[in-house]
Amino acid sequence: MIGKKKLWVQIIIIILLVIGTIWAGFPILWMILNSFKPNSEIFAWPPTWISENFSLDAYKAIFTNPEQVRFFINSYAISAIVVTVTLIIGILAAYAFSRFNFPGKGIINTIIVAVQAVPPITLLIPYMSLIVSLKLFNTYGALILTYMVFTLPYAILMLTGYFNTLPKDLDEAVMIDGGSRFKALWSVLVPPSVPGLVSVGMYTFMQAWNEYLFALALTKTNDMRTVPVGINLLMGQHAYEWNQMMAMSVLGSLPILFLFLFFQKYFIAGMTAGSVKN
Amino acid sequence: MTKGKKFITPYLYLLPTIILMCILLIVPIVMVIGYSFYDNVIINKNPVFVGLENYSKVLSDPVFFVAIKNTLFFVLISIVAHFLIGMLFAMLLNTRYLGVMTKGIFRVIYALPWMFTASVIAIVWRMMLNPNGVLNYLMTNMGLISEKVEWLASRDVALASVTLINIWSGYPFYMISILAGLQGISTDLYEASALDGANAVQTFFRITIPQLKPILISLLMLDFVWTLQQFALIWMTTGGGPVNATETISTYIYKQGFSKYQYSMASAGAVILLIVCTIIGIFYVRQQKAGD
Amino acid sequence: MKFKTVAKKILSAAVVGTMVLSLAACGGSGGGESSDDSKDEGGSEGGGDGVTLEFQQWWGVELPDGALADICQKFTDDTGIKIDLLSNPYADTKTQIASGAASGTMADVVGLDGSWVYDFAKQGSIANLTELMGGAGYDDSQLSSQIQVDGNTYMIPVVNFAYPMYANMDILKEAGIEELPTTRDEFLAACEAVSKNGVAGWAIPLSSESPSGIQNQFMTWLWASGGAMLKDGKPNLEGNAELEATVEFVKEMFDKGYIAAGANSMKEPDMVEEFTNGRVAFMTDGVSHLTTIKKEAPDLNFDYLTVPVVEGFSGTRGMDVANWGIGIAENCEHKDEAWQFVEYLMSPEVNAELAVLANAFPGNSKAEPDYSSSDELFVKAYELFQSCEAINEFTGAPTSEDLMRSFGEELQLYIDGDTASAADMLKAAQERWMPAFE
Repeated sequence: MIGKKKLWVQIIIIILLVIGTIWAGFPILWMILNSFKPNSEIFAWPPTWISENFSLDAYKAIFTNPEQVRFFINSYAISAIVVTVTLIIGILAAYAFSRFNFPGKGIINTIIVAVQAVPPITLLIPYMSLIVSLKLFNTYGALILTYMVFTLPYAILMLTGYFNTLPKDLDEAVMIDGGSRFKALWSVLVPPSVPGLVSVGMYTFMQAWNEYLFALALTKTNDMRTVPVGINLLMGQHAYEWNQMMAMSVLGSLPILFLFLFFQKYFIAGMTAGSVKN
Repeated sequence: MTKGKKFITPYLYLLPTIILMCILLIVPIVMVIGYSFYDNVIINKNPVFVGLENYSKVLSDPVFFVAIKNTLFFVLISIVAHFLIGMLFAMLLNTRYLGVMTKGIFRVIYALPWMFTASVIAIVWRMMLNPNGVLNYLMTNMGLISEKVEWLASRDVALASVTLINIWSGYPFYMISILAGLQGISTDLYEASALDGANAVQTFFRITIPQLKPILISLLMLDFVWTLQQFALIWMTTGGGPVNATETISTYIYKQGFSKYQYSMASAGAVILLIVCTIIGIFYVRQQKAGD
Repeated sequence: MKFKTVAKKILSAAVVGTMVLSLAACGGSGGGESSDDSKDEGGSEGGGDGVTLEFQQWWGVELPDGALADICQKFTDDTGIKIDLLSNPYADTKTQIASGAASGTMADVVGLDGSWVYDFAKQGSIANLTELMGGAGYDDSQLSSQIQVDGNTYMIPVVNFAYPMYANMDILKEAGIEELPTTRDEFLAACEAVSKNGVAGWAIPLSSESPSGIQNQFMTWLWASGGAMLKDGKPNLEGNAELEATVEFVKEMFDKGYIAAGANSMKEPDMVEEFTNGRVAFMTDGVSHLTTIKKEAPDLNFDYLTVPVVEGFSGTRGMDVANWGIGIAENCEHKDEAWQFVEYLMSPEVNAELAVLANAFPGNSKAEPDYSSSDELFVKAYELFQSCEAINEFTGAPTSEDLMRSFGEELQLYIDGDTASAADMLKAAQERWMPAFE
């Protein structure tokens, strides 16, 4: 009886797994296949799967173009800095939210949630004027600060949740021993929070890596630009370099894929503690 | 430690956050709110204060109401589908019938859509949903459709298509969060439930859902807010068209600002959206407090 | 009391914050080679020699690699004025110039599309070229056209792109069409013939994102037959019999299924893909596409024709023209040098060279481009262009893009049968256009 039931369940699971894989993976498979096709075959009817003219030209074109390589370097540098600084500032703020009760806590919290909702596009014009008057226009600084503003609210929300799961006795013990609050935070609260930090860090990295609109508007020269802008650079007024766009999209998502592969254990563990309240 | 110092301490920890948010977020938001009370800013060098005129113009624009209707459809369907698909996949990846390796592999595959930027997603789906694209080809061959469907070009299906794309790109966040939550539920609870003779469905509703509730509420609220401001995906697939079929509040605001150069009207629209989101924010904080 | 303390804290926080940010600014510009630095260096040297001008445009992306840089280098060799090329695709350039206009960060010299000029001029973000030309004693009679707002020139078309019609000769031959259509009726007959073979007759990109299809594909029908959508600079849609006939004509093509699928979300590059893949017999498109099409489909057998006209029309045919225009930012600190650069680009030799490189026609009427090494089809297109009158009523019109979009939406409503008649449709479009012209 039980064995039979198990078999049934297994069959259903396998069917669901296959459907899920097609749903999640097909568009990406299609993207990868298209990156190997010559441009003229992309819209062929009936579609070609593996092109007879299979070529790596699109990838070659990207790697041999110093300008496009520069986009990747910029994206790495900016994302790495954003992740580091967001985490530091986020830890400090989350500590305040988690361990203190103070006037204005509710208001600040509400603001932090609400500001996530402002469509960035609506802020573009005043934001640009601001960046220009801060003399940050067309610098890494402009993009780094912008992405921090976008990612910080989420980081604070998640890390506050995470710290809330850690018993207060932990840091209080340090302070009773004569250690400062600051020391308690870094030596007692941060180490067990690594999974939470990794998951927030990944999220932050993805946001910084993938943002397009501000990366375009806040920079002027191509040596300051990032991968998403680079992908759009392949869309001419009249014609698109479809295969190169696809190749660049594939390359552009690899860093995130690798990060996910390396950190997925931490990542998932981090999400748990961050969102579940004890 | 003096009382004064103790009072300051939390603010010191919040200082970098407050500085950053005040300068780079609150200032532009205040500017936008300011714009919304003036007659055509930016274009006009000496704008005139017009009070609520921009608001009454926006609120009496029938297109704005279409945008609200579409936005609600887009957001609600997206959220529900995100939730269902995310939940299904998370449960699937959490069953004891799968080996660790298998779980790992499928976890990565199912998380894939999450790793692409909106412009890439838009380009790929535009390619697939083209009338001569691969989706129509496959569906025709399988006999599901008799003639090519204009997925993004028909006013009847464009909104559904755009929503589908958004569902595809957004569910992994739920899946991963729920998966994380599922792993946090103690096995004792399940065992107790099994002892009570509850079947899988009962266990799901009695144990799993209540245990996941805090995560689910956070997810739904964040997703609501994120989906509400989704712009790039819609803009790059349909541009709000055909006619107004996929016009949402964010594309409406964009067109006001960057196509009609009516920044004041755009600002008024943005403020309305901000108010809605602040209300959501208040609910979120209330819920957080209740959870404490 | 408490609130006061908090307020004080926030205030002091803001002060500290500004300091932190200025530090970050130093870090930011130190980290990357910011253009501000190079600009400062240029300024400190002083005089015309050290000036660096930023030139933002989408042309560099469209031209052969390095071609624009070479042309600018020659200018630097002659004058010592450096040109910093900021080349981005068309749509991105537009976003950048629009946001730059609003925040005062526009590059010194900018590539402009005729449809943007009015708005930037009204906004005061691009400089009055009439004044600059006067100051430099420039003879503007050699310019084939100037785009004016309120009687002053704000943009000069550097090169022009004509929009003739492309015809896929193989598709036509297979359908038994021997002669290229010259009138709308003949065109319909040709579409009917090819549609029997399951091929679309014509394509029109009506995507809401970039509604230029109204300009380059729809209005071309009207303009070809000598019609106009404006009268004395004001919209003349309602009660315009010629336009009504054009709307009916396009609607008929939709109703009979001649139009390539997906028109409502199609963009110009999508339309070109349809044509390149041999799925549509005719398309109205810029000559600039010639190289792309030849490269992607070397075997495609196609030809050019002028856009067919209404029966019995005997006047000079109109041909839609788009251009790469140039303007100078109002916030440019070296306007004289900037003008020198514009003058250089407009000089007959350079202008001719640019035209040949871009597969376009020169903006200087004295330029004599040498198309001898160009494709023979291109030469044919040039001849067709010269036999027609160049026209584009959207150039210099207020919020052109929005005009196209709203017209496009009304057109779609009529095609879908939501609007009862073409007259009603034009009435609705007129109502939506009027506010922009007030």
